[in-house]
Amino acid sequence: MSKNLLNLSVEELAPLLKNQSISPVELTKEVLGHAERSQPQINAYMDFYREDAEQAAQQAEKEILNGQYRGMYHGIPMALKDNLYFRDKKTTMSSKIHENFVSSYDATVVENLREAGVIFTGKLSMHEYAWGITNNNPHYGAVRNPWDLNKIPGGSSGGSGAAVAVGSSVASLGTDTAGSIRIPASACGIVGLKPTHGLVSKYGCYPLAWSLDHIGPMTKTVKDAAGLLEIIAGYDKNDPTSINRPKDQYLPKVTGEVKDLVIGINEDFFFNQVDTDINNLVRTSIQKLVDLGAKVETVKIPTLQYAEWAELVTSLSEASAIHHSDLQKRPDDFGDDIRLLFELGELPSAVDYLQAQQIRRQLKQDFQEAFKKIDVLISPTLPVAPNTIGDDFVDLNGQQVDLIDNIIRFTGPANLTGIPALSVPCGFKGNLPIGLQIMGPAFSEAQLLNVGYAIEQTKPLQGKKPNLLLHS
Amino acid sequence: MSLSIQDVLKNKGIEVKQAHLNVLEARWENMKALRADLKHANIDDADIGVRNIPGGDHIE
Repeated sequence: MSKNLLNLSVEELAPLLKNQSISPVELTKEVLGHAERSQPQINAYMDFYREDAEQAAQQAEKEILNGQYRGMYHGIPMALKDNLYFRDKKTTMSSKIHENFVSSYDATVVENLREAGVIFTGKLSMHEYAWGITNNNPHYGAVRNPWDLNKIPGGSSGGSGAAVAVGSSVASLGTDTAGSIRIPASACGIVGLKPTHGLVSKYGCYPLAWSLDHIGPMTKTVKDAAGLLEIIAGYDKNDPTSINRPKDQYLPKVTGEVKDLVIGINEDFFFNQVDTDINNLVRTSIQKLVDLGAKVETVKIPTLQYAEWAELVTSLSEASAIHHSDLQKRPDDFGDDIRLLFELGELPSAVDYLQAQQIRRQLKQDFQEAFKKIDVLISPTLPVAPNTIGDDFVDLNGQQVDLIDNIIRFTGPANLTGIPALSVPCGFKGNLPIGLQIMGPAFSEAQLLNVGYAIEQTKPLQGKKPNLLLHS
Repeated sequence: MSLSIQDVLKNKGIEVKQAHLNVLEARWENMKALRADLKHANIDDADIGVRNIPGGDHIE
């Protein structure tokens, strides 16, 4: 029974909890026990909340028995990335500098999840201050990819990716500034959604780069992501970037119907310099959508050629502004890799930053033009497969290329433009899962989730699971 | 007069880790090369890249 529980998604668990076939107490015990057992190999957790979780599970059980079922996530055990504030709990950003930081309030998304009846099992590791993609953390150790323990899980939400993939958190939230939800989602074989900028409140999330940061779902299935987005999306006056618009319902629109959907492909940028196997997997998935009635159009997005510079200048400058004082006063307390990035971020001028914003606006206009002809734009999530832990270079069709420069190439533009982007698994390269990215116009999350669901229905992972989950 | 990266950062009160200097210089040169391509970008002086939201954080 326990193996079955750990394998189940939220959409499968929710009816069992609702009809009292399983109890939140039993489920929480299974998930926490598995999380603790897999911790020596995976290192996904920063902190376990066993006592709190057991109390919350008992409360949820009581409510459900009394007929006060709150919805899909009631009684679901989840751990969250350690840059989301929990009232009276440590939030470390997996850093040394903030190792004892305790917030006096919950992040808005944490508050939303509490109201939905989620049971918090703990906090998950991340790349220090979210400023990297390996999750090879100098202070708390490397998080390992459950599909291959020698490989990175991606980052910066690598703890979230690994925990969901291995079943030590039924679902999770990540944050994404240049791809930090989608990169680990792709690397760990799960679903990751970076919503439209302003759709999900960032109040109570330690920032990396204010204008590029997003919070979003990381889940086992597309419907789990849709249900989670319904809980966390919405206007928040405490977040200056939050957008006041009517709340959307995503789950009813996730049907898998893609007849007459127009899929955009941009060959010049999003299929340039891609691992051959990944390229083939993504194109095969697109063909499957075509077989279901979708159409394909090629599109040009000229400003993409300047996107890398604009993304770099914007993210580096904003991140270095946030950490400027600590870089002056206690530089040795940063990990080496992020200290270097903070030093680099001190170099662009104000003119560089402002011209990057002009490029950003033009890029948004280019995407808007493209979306007049197409419904969604599909690309590989990553041009390369996850590399070995500790290796700064990665193989791209026989060439060793810089890992960081390459791994964010296809994810960064959605942060710069603020458009939503979803990563769903589309197959395997060797023993490692590969992700496909679906982008759309602002607030088109329902459409993206629906297309992702259509791909999910083709069973790209063939029912395979990481060994640690199978042998738990 | 051209200041070294080390000098630029020192003037900001930041001590660069010596082991970082070569990588830092290489990365900064890469960024400058990317920036050089901007001369082909179709941005106009009148293109507005930043906003001033009146009255507060949100337009209610």
